[in-house]
Amino acid sequence: MNAPVRPGALNLGAQPVPAPDPIIRFEQVGKTYPGRAGQQAVPALSGIDLAVPAGAIVGVIGRSGAGKSTLIRLVNGLERATAGRILIEGEDVTALNEAGWRRRRREIGMIFQHFNLLSSRTVFDNVALPLEIAGTPKAAIAAKVEKLLALVGLADKRERYPAELSGGQKQRVGIARALATDPKLLLCDEATSALDPETTQSILALLRQVNRDLGITILLITHEIPVIKEICDRVAVIEGGRIVEEGETFAVFTDPRHPTTARFVEAVTGVELPAHLKDRIRAEARPGDELVLRVTFTGANATAPVISRLSAVVGVDVNILAGRIDAIAGQPFGSLLVSVPARAPESEAVLGALRNLGLKAEVVGHVS
Amino acid sequence: MSPEILKLIWQATLDTLSMVAAAAGIGTLLGLPLGVFLATSKRGELFAAPALNAVLGVLVNATRSTPFIILVVAIIPFTRLIAGTSIGTAAAIVPLTVACIPFIARLIEGAVREVDQGLVEAARAMGATPVQIVRKVLVPEALPAIVLGLTLAVVSLIGFSAMVGAVGGGGLGDLGIRYGYQRFMPDVMATVVAVLIVLVQLVQSFGDRLARRLNKRLRHA
Repeated sequence: MNAPVRPGALNLGAQPVPAPDPIIRFEQVGKTYPGRAGQQAVPALSGIDLAVPAGAIVGVIGRSGAGKSTLIRLVNGLERATAGRILIEGEDVTALNEAGWRRRRREIGMIFQHFNLLSSRTVFDNVALPLEIAGTPKAAIAAKVEKLLALVGLADKRERYPAELSGGQKQRVGIARALATDPKLLLCDEATSALDPETTQSILALLRQVNRDLGITILLITHEIPVIKEICDRVAVIEGGRIVEEGETFAVFTDPRHPTTARFVEAVTGVELPAHLKDRIRAEARPGDELVLRVTFTGANATAPVISRLSAVVGVDVNILAGRIDAIAGQPFGSLLVSVPARAPESEAVLGALRNLGLKAEVVGHVS
Repeated sequence: MSPEILKLIWQATLDTLSMVAAAAGIGTLLGLPLGVFLATSKRGELFAAPALNAVLGVLVNATRSTPFIILVVAIIPFTRLIAGTSIGTAAAIVPLTVACIPFIARLIEGAVREVDQGLVEAARAMGATPVQIVRKVLVPEALPAIVLGLTLAVVSLIGFSAMVGAVGGGGLGDLGIRYGYQRFMPDVMATVVAVLIVLVQLVQSFGDRLARRLNKRLRHA
């Protein structure tokens, strides 16, 4: 390969090397597209501060038009920042010229929503393309491509054309191609948005494997919250060109601070009242009512037999209305809607006991 | 028909074929890069040069809007400069080539513009240079459409080549006018037309088949 081999560069099969510095750091980054004649320029991104730790999977979630595709394209110079600095492995890339970017890009893989495979090339030749571009000798290309096709499970499809593959298989080719030059960083642009849920799962599993086994840092953008829940260590929520919330996925999901985040996580953590209770729920209590509570379990609590313990300790019948227990970024998380008698001593005792157990409980309302 | 006439038809067919082949060959050699450049040099594109793009665009349009028979006469000095004469089969290649370069360039521009921009983005993300993007992505991906475009250009050239007879170029058109029309030999005229029809058919079906073979987009598992 012509590309310079840096010390600590990760090759297939190598162990992840922990690095304390973030592999990417955005510092007050902004991007404004020049306005058309007579129109004002509109900022696509402004005041972006974001650190991507080496070895992590970081997700950026936002609706279409929020600026997430511009954000990911700033990392490999397909778009240029108009304000602030971007540091990749400590190097300020905002000052790079096109030739400097071309060298950089060979160390950054990218996969796309619509795969962007060349229809005129076989699977093998598609994966070989980045190596041809880097000027790798033929024999080395063949060996590398075989290895990558085995890694993504497509060794038997090497002579097929993309039109003969399913969506999931195409994305596997995309991933193999993105890994061809042994990048340290993989950018995923809505990589699963064109795939069905089952295929999405298998692609996410492959990405996690690539992250863990090869130590490749992944920055992904998506509008699908399940993708974040499934594989991201950290998440940034972007809206109107700004990051409105950022943190560890589990913390953000279980305690969203921004309304946009809350709406996103609702889809995977929220529990709805059954329809027959939804219409009857009231804020004020009447005699003989039941009190409806939303109890949130996190971490170790999610697996503890909380409800039975509650009944035993307080001596109150706890009625489960709805609930879900799930894993977020690998940690268990549960949310339950329960009802207990709304009378003063019992309800007080239940709320007290929940607090003692370290659970978050909020009153939803009353039903008769 | 006498053997002499048959010999004339055979010679005229060879003349037509050589004129068309030479014009198409040189036209492709020059039209291909011109077409690729037209497709990649607008604002924000790979070889962004909007001013040059606009100038070339006007030149191409000007050549294409000039009726061929007028172009043939208008560039006689240029033809003489290149071919040493303005009469005969070799000289006829010059106006045919001049006419087909912008035609081929526009066809190739259209074919290249049809290539999914996502592929260009993917190649850029791999660190490809603009020249690598043209050679490894744009031209191979556009190839089936380019082949169809060139087929169309060759068919048009066969038609144009019949017109250069008017200024002393040889070929089937010239033969048809001189023998079929001016000497009242309807059988020669009919034969000339039949040979032209067969030529066009052969070129078109060869082009279609080649384009189909090159197109890997329509296969299914």
